[in-house]
Amino acid sequence: MMTMQRRTLLAAGAAALAAPRLGAAQGLLKATLRLKWLPQTQFAGFYLALERGYYREAGLDLTINPGGPNLLTENLVASGGEQFGVSGGTDSVFSAREKGLPLVCVGVTHQVTPFVFAAKADGPVKTLEDLRGRKATAWFTGAHLVLFGMLASRGIAKDAVSISPQQVSVTPFVNGEVDVIAATWYNELNVLKARLGGVEKLKLFVAEDYGITVPRDTVIVNEPFAQANPRAVEAFLRASIRGWKASKAEPAAALEAVMKIAPTIDRAHQTAMLPECLRLMTAGAAAQQGLFTIDTTAVKKAHDFFVEQKVLAAPIDLAAAYQGQYLAAIPLAERLA
Amino acid sequence: MRWLRASGLAALARAALPLLLLAALWEAAVALLHISPFYLPPLRQVLGAMLALWPAYQEAFLVTLGEAVVGFLAGALVGIASACAFHHARWLRDMLFPLFVASQTVPVIAFGAIVVLWFGNTLLAKAAIAFYLTFFPVTVNALAGIEAVDPRQVALLRSFGASRRDIWWKLLLPSALPRIFTALRLSAGLALAGAIVGEWFGASIGVGAMLLAALFNEQVVAMWAAILAAAGVGGTIFAAVALLEGRLVFWRDEL
Repeated sequence: MMTMQRRTLLAAGAAALAAPRLGAAQGLLKATLRLKWLPQTQFAGFYLALERGYYREAGLDLTINPGGPNLLTENLVASGGEQFGVSGGTDSVFSAREKGLPLVCVGVTHQVTPFVFAAKADGPVKTLEDLRGRKATAWFTGAHLVLFGMLASRGIAKDAVSISPQQVSVTPFVNGEVDVIAATWYNELNVLKARLGGVEKLKLFVAEDYGITVPRDTVIVNEPFAQANPRAVEAFLRASIRGWKASKAEPAAALEAVMKIAPTIDRAHQTAMLPECLRLMTAGAAAQQGLFTIDTTAVKKAHDFFVEQKVLAAPIDLAAAYQGQYLAAIPLAERLA
Repeated sequence: MRWLRASGLAALARAALPLLLLAALWEAAVALLHISPFYLPPLRQVLGAMLALWPAYQEAFLVTLGEAVVGFLAGALVGIASACAFHHARWLRDMLFPLFVASQTVPVIAFGAIVVLWFGNTLLAKAAIAFYLTFFPVTVNALAGIEAVDPRQVALLRSFGASRRDIWWKLLLPSALPRIFTALRLSAGLALAGAIVGEWFGASIGVGAMLLAALFNEQVVAMWAAILAAAGVGGTIFAAVALLEGRLVFWRDEL
């Protein structure tokens, strides 16, 4: 109670000092959306929805806060300091729920594994078997487990490959110090294509081909907030869907909405990022069930994979963690991109 | 040489000359030594990038300056006030000073995530970190300055019937001013570092946010542009402190 009061006091002081609001919006619910990374077109739909007032029309006075290397969206949303979040993925939702953090997933952005593993087409790694004794890097936030799983599906022990944590730069791979690298379809893969001269210079290993799928970029909500404000959650999803549909129809406008927030980022890279993100968002079950759909089969598959990998000590209650009722309240026609 | 001292324009010229030399050296080194733009892009490319997005850089500059200045002022006030209180009440000093020291042994980056939890994405969050970095050096230096006053001077003033307030305002604080300003000069850079670190925890605008975006997108030119903008912020605060010092500690040159 004490801390709540203090927080409210601090927040009130902060708001008064930092953002003197001219005529506080009447009847709008104030809320924040914390992203999983720095502003880029990976989040274009949210920024466009904000710019065009879709959230206001849905009754939300929303602020979008970027993520970054030092932040965990799950913690910020679980603390109640922020209400909505685009978090790591189904994997991070599992682990947050396992830790008992009060958050729920109400939508999934990227319907399939958003990253692949890439090797050079003219390099020594043509098949996963060739990885034995070679060097690979992957983000140790979960991508490395997917690689372990892919190797396991071919009967390759994970210690047969030297797998180390991947840093931001793709330069070690380009320079040949590393044979296989993790790359998101929308970010690193575009960088690799540009630096190596086309996708044909790369050999890609796709998780789904090895029976593994990890949908990512999950939309999470603070659990007590969602219980107290189910209409706000629905409104948030409705406005976000509008924003993403508008981004698909007018990618140039979506790009500008992001560039306005982060004017110094590379325009060409951002332009290339958007269609890849849209492809991941409309893949799989989303084609029939619309944007943000929670594909329970895919979630279950990812969950079982992480249990099998002993990342989760025990199965978690998926029905409690993944709540599709907020999306279901929006007519299907509205959700289809 | 007297005119050089007097004229503001000349002072500006003296400050600008080394900067221009450095700029020339930068350009020449890149061109002559064939330095890869990945390590050091030509200065004109960096300046070009800043000019092309001038309003964005201006906004970032002002936002970060605001955060740093709020933290700096709070740190300066709390620092000077603490020093006065510590000098006045020995027991307070024994109680609180160890805490002050302990607070400085925790790296500021450890607080970043917590400050964001407390204050959210606000100016106050960054100012709080800038404050955290600045109040300690000011406390230590102000206290040392006050304590350095010759007790015989205090006794002399007392013998003339000076009140405690007189002693503070006419002897202790003026005597401590040179050391306080040394701390403030140091703190100018620290406040900037605090604001930038604060922005690394999910800020949308500011020099630190720009630096982070450039860093993680491997945009070397944008990185240097952000560094120059940060230098601008730090330089502005430092210049303001130096200006104030020139006015308040007018006797410094005579010391």
